[in-house]
Amino acid sequence: MQLTLAAKYMGASMATLGLGGAAMGMAMVFVALMNGTSRNPSLRATLFPQAMLGFALAEACGLFCLMMSFLLLYAV
Amino acid sequence: MKKMFMHSPLEQFEMKMLLMMNDMLALSMTNYVVYLGMVSFMMYNMMTLLNKTNLEWNRWGLAMLAMYDTMLNMVKSQMGNKGGYYFPLMFTLFTFMLMANLVSMMPYSFAMSAQLVPVVSLSLSLWLGVTMLGLAKHKLVYFSLFVPNGTPLPLVPVLVLMETLSNSSRAMSLGLRLSANVLSGHLLMLMLGSLMFNLMNSSMFGMFFGMMPMLGVVAMVMLEFAMSMMQAYVFCMLFSGYMKDSMYLH
Repeated sequence: MQLTLAAKYMGASMATLGLGGAAMGMAMVFVALMNGTSRNPSLRATLFPQAMLGFALAEACGLFCLMMSFLLLYAV
Repeated sequence: MKKMFMHSPLEQFEMKMLLMMNDMLALSMTNYVVYLGMVSFMMYNMMTLLNKTNLEWNRWGLAMLAMYDTMLNMVKSQMGNKGGYYFPLMFTLFTFMLMANLVSMMPYSFAMSAQLVPVVSLSLSLWLGVTMLGLAKHKLVYFSLFVPNGTPLPLVPVLVLMETLSNSSRAMSLGLRLSANVLSGHLLMLMLGSLMFNLMNSSMFGMFFGMMPMLGVVAMVMLEFAMSMMQAYVFCMLFSGYMKDSMYLH
């Protein structure tokens, strides 16, 4: 019983590791936005919504990890 | 004061039976149905308001027109002028998601779009409709969607397999993205909120030093508001992209 509980907590903590990838993805989106804006500031208005879309997609992937760990903690 | 949640933070997503005929499957009414009815009522009222909106009406009318214009621009830029035919579907979907997400942001309300089964079944049926649209428009040529332009012949079987997999996983991922976002966002808000509640409830010291992390919780709530609006937009944007794929094939 104790071992199962330990495995559950370890699994939940390991599931959060994937958030690092989402963080890198979000950072890359904003780095690309800054790069593009500094090269051509007049494109900012068109680049910003696309960056927001990329941010939302990357964050959604990170939230899958968070959801997995929450499910392991509370629903298993 | 007791703790804010009894057993687990997942309790807030439970469907509660409010009205029941003889079993759960017959004419039963859960809190999900109540919220669905509420959102549909609000959408109906918004439609009647939108019909009499003009630019010099008031700010709320302008906000509604801005929403309309945003969706129209998105559909037109994705699917061209012919896409205007599918604009009503897209606008309805967007309004539904937006209102469901924003209603669930009210304190003590029920997060409607965090329910995996209804949201994923919605996205599955949308994907099925898009596939049927493509098959009806292009007959068997529709399957050329699975072979990207200019692939060398030896790579074709592998690529067809991968494209088929990615195309059919769209059915799940579209709804899963929305509901996983809402689910984990609401869980996070509840856990942070109850943590802050317990900290500031513990002592005068906790009350005093809890003020700083409180700002973090407020920032989380603001992020959730932004995400609830953005997810509705992303859902519609991806769906119109899928629809463009099956309308024009690449």
